[in-house]
Amino acid sequence: MKVNIQPKEGLLVNAFLVMFFIHATQTGVGIIGLPRIVYLAAKHDAWISVFLGGLISAFVLAMIVLMLKKYDSADLYGIQVDVFGKWLGNALNIFYMFYMSISFFVILMNYIEIVQVWIFPELPTWQLSLALILLTIYAVNGGIRIIVGVAFMSVLGTVWIIFILFVPMQYADPKNLLPLLNTDLKHIVNGVYKTSLSLMGFELLMFLYPYVKDKKKVFLYSQIGNLYTTFLFTAITMVCITFFAENGLARTIWPVLSMFKIVRLPNLERFEFIAVSFWMLVILPNMCSYLWAASKGFSRIVKWKQKRGIWIIGILVWGGSFFIKARYQMNELTDFVAKLGFLSAFCYPVLLSVLVLVKKWFQRRKKSSAEAS
Amino acid sequence: MRKLHNSKLILLTVCLITMILSAGCVQQKPLEKLGLITTQGYDMEGKNEIRGTAVVQKFDPMTKAATKVITSYAKTSKGLRQEENLQSNQKLVSGQLRSVVYSRELAQKGIIQLVDTLNRDAAIGNMVYLTIADQSASEIMEIENKNKGNLNLGTYIYNLIKQNVDGEQIISPTLHEFNHNYYDIGKDPVLPILKAKGKDVIISGVGLFKDDRLVDELKQGDLFYLKILVDKYKAGTKEMGFKTEQLKKIILKNENYTKKPIFSKIYVTIENIRSKTKIKLVDQKNVRFKVNVEVDSRVLEMTQALELGKPASIKLLQKRFNQTMKKKIEQLLLHFKELGIDPVGFGDEYEAHLRGRTITKKEWDRKYKDATFDVHVENTIKRTGVID
Repeated sequence: MKVNIQPKEGLLVNAFLVMFFIHATQTGVGIIGLPRIVYLAAKHDAWISVFLGGLISAFVLAMIVLMLKKYDSADLYGIQVDVFGKWLGNALNIFYMFYMSISFFVILMNYIEIVQVWIFPELPTWQLSLALILLTIYAVNGGIRIIVGVAFMSVLGTVWIIFILFVPMQYADPKNLLPLLNTDLKHIVNGVYKTSLSLMGFELLMFLYPYVKDKKKVFLYSQIGNLYTTFLFTAITMVCITFFAENGLARTIWPVLSMFKIVRLPNLERFEFIAVSFWMLVILPNMCSYLWAASKGFSRIVKWKQKRGIWIIGILVWGGSFFIKARYQMNELTDFVAKLGFLSAFCYPVLLSVLVLVKKWFQRRKKSSAEAS
Repeated sequence: MRKLHNSKLILLTVCLITMILSAGCVQQKPLEKLGLITTQGYDMEGKNEIRGTAVVQKFDPMTKAATKVITSYAKTSKGLRQEENLQSNQKLVSGQLRSVVYSRELAQKGIIQLVDTLNRDAAIGNMVYLTIADQSASEIMEIENKNKGNLNLGTYIYNLIKQNVDGEQIISPTLHEFNHNYYDIGKDPVLPILKAKGKDVIISGVGLFKDDRLVDELKQGDLFYLKILVDKYKAGTKEMGFKTEQLKKIILKNENYTKKPIFSKIYVTIENIRSKTKIKLVDQKNVRFKVNVEVDSRVLEMTQALELGKPASIKLLQKRFNQTMKKKIEQLLLHFKELGIDPVGFGDEYEAHLRGRTITKKEWDRKYKDATFDVHVENTIKRTGVID
């Protein structure tokens, strides 16, 4: 396998789109439940945990870009083979493919659960998952440019939802945030860890990188995207903490949607119906990019056509959707993926970039000493 | 290239067909076949049963009466729904539920389980008004029948409360606010009490809760002081009574105008009230709170001519207002303390200053018994209408 890939000129995307890509892949089903999950860990200082989580993902993202810059135009598949050799590298590649496929699955299932609880209790899971998977496959078939386009459209199409936050703010009780920093460090760190599932998605930059036109600007734009996500998540968490009573937030499974229940438009009583429907736009780039990056593995590792990989993962995920029947199964699965994501999106890339930096440093020293002698 | 294009087209078609077909699989809800429950009343029936009375709005072009009152008996509120469905030719849905009425008896025993089901049900909005019936809830629901189904009680109660919340007469009793106050350790909920009066429903007062149990009732006059403590006023109105001696100095003495007073006391009505209240914990150990109330208003009516042209007399009037309000607020706070209820949210303020640990409900209840309050009221009469 070649470490670097040289895509055709026509397949490249502009660097500023990385900003939208990062933000769109980070924002997904996670944020709907995030305030409560972090609240359970860090109490009313949850927003500090979320903010710190954002900073940590900024650091990881910086390490990723640093690592990618050591190569001309490589993705994670190439780098792992370059660093660990053919066998171990490919084993790790397959593991990463598994991680991305299961992330795709969890996003899909979480969204379907939300639709079933909030709008259509009678809708069978397999129908909605079939429709969504086919839609994703259709988008991924269009290639990376389409996926980045979907991410761009999704961010622009849903940016207005932020302004809806002003409605629950009128019912907010800022006293709930006081006293600041009352939770001890252990619980805040635990909160940061719980944030990781929602911030996942930026690691996909390791697959997008070869397709970016102006690679020098990737660092800047990826940081802007992550910063925006951090700001948004922190704001939402803050509003949730002030909007709900202390024991109320701990009981609400989807606080962001429950909060939207209070919004009432003159000819539309229930805003959360709109929010849930629009959330499909929010998760679509998530699903597309995970499916794309996972199926890319097929063409990189075994030189199949990527299209075949898309269908294989699509059918597997659809088959898997039959096995999830109840809320507690969903919880267990989501917790598992949160742990997996914490390892493979937060810890592993940092480790890998350190390895790459050390390796490149050794290579350079060897080279210069060879030249000197 | 040509072939690739075709395969994408096929995929697109498959996508579209799946989406359209699966959209048809969802259960349909045509409006004519639905009965919308707009208001629901709950009563205790015997020991282990509740009686539910629902007012249902229909969209049936064939019949004239647009609403129907259904009574049923069950153990849970969702059980009531089933029983109610047996009495209806249309499927009953609760997405348009506007208000819920709990009987006094039920409210005294605790309503949280009945509120909890409203929270659990995604179909029910967060802005449903919760109310207490002065006696039984079914008595209020029966008003719909007295009006021969022309009143549409659900909307009527909703507007009755909304109008008075907007007019700053009562504190907003939405499901969300009830939840917030119930689940907050340092605050207790407040709900309006409805009373049937002839063919009408009126708000007769406000029920004070300890957790989810009704413990006391405030009449309209005292409600003003509770609202001033809990909420901001933007345009309220209040009638204040004084003894004649208290305002003797500023009674207008011009013999040409002075007439014999009608009442034995002097009443002054202030309007356009804007108020701001700051509650501060000044002493954490002894649980002492400082309550600062600022009120801006204009005088619009009095039962005896007062000399309002002079700055000195306005000042005297302000001073009298301060004294009366301070006394009333102190009385009210002591009353709350005696009952062990905290509708103002002193516990929230206490908690906001508590470093390093959290407080439990029991702990706060104990602390609250020793709480003391310094009340300061600052009235400003901005103007006196278009004449002096």
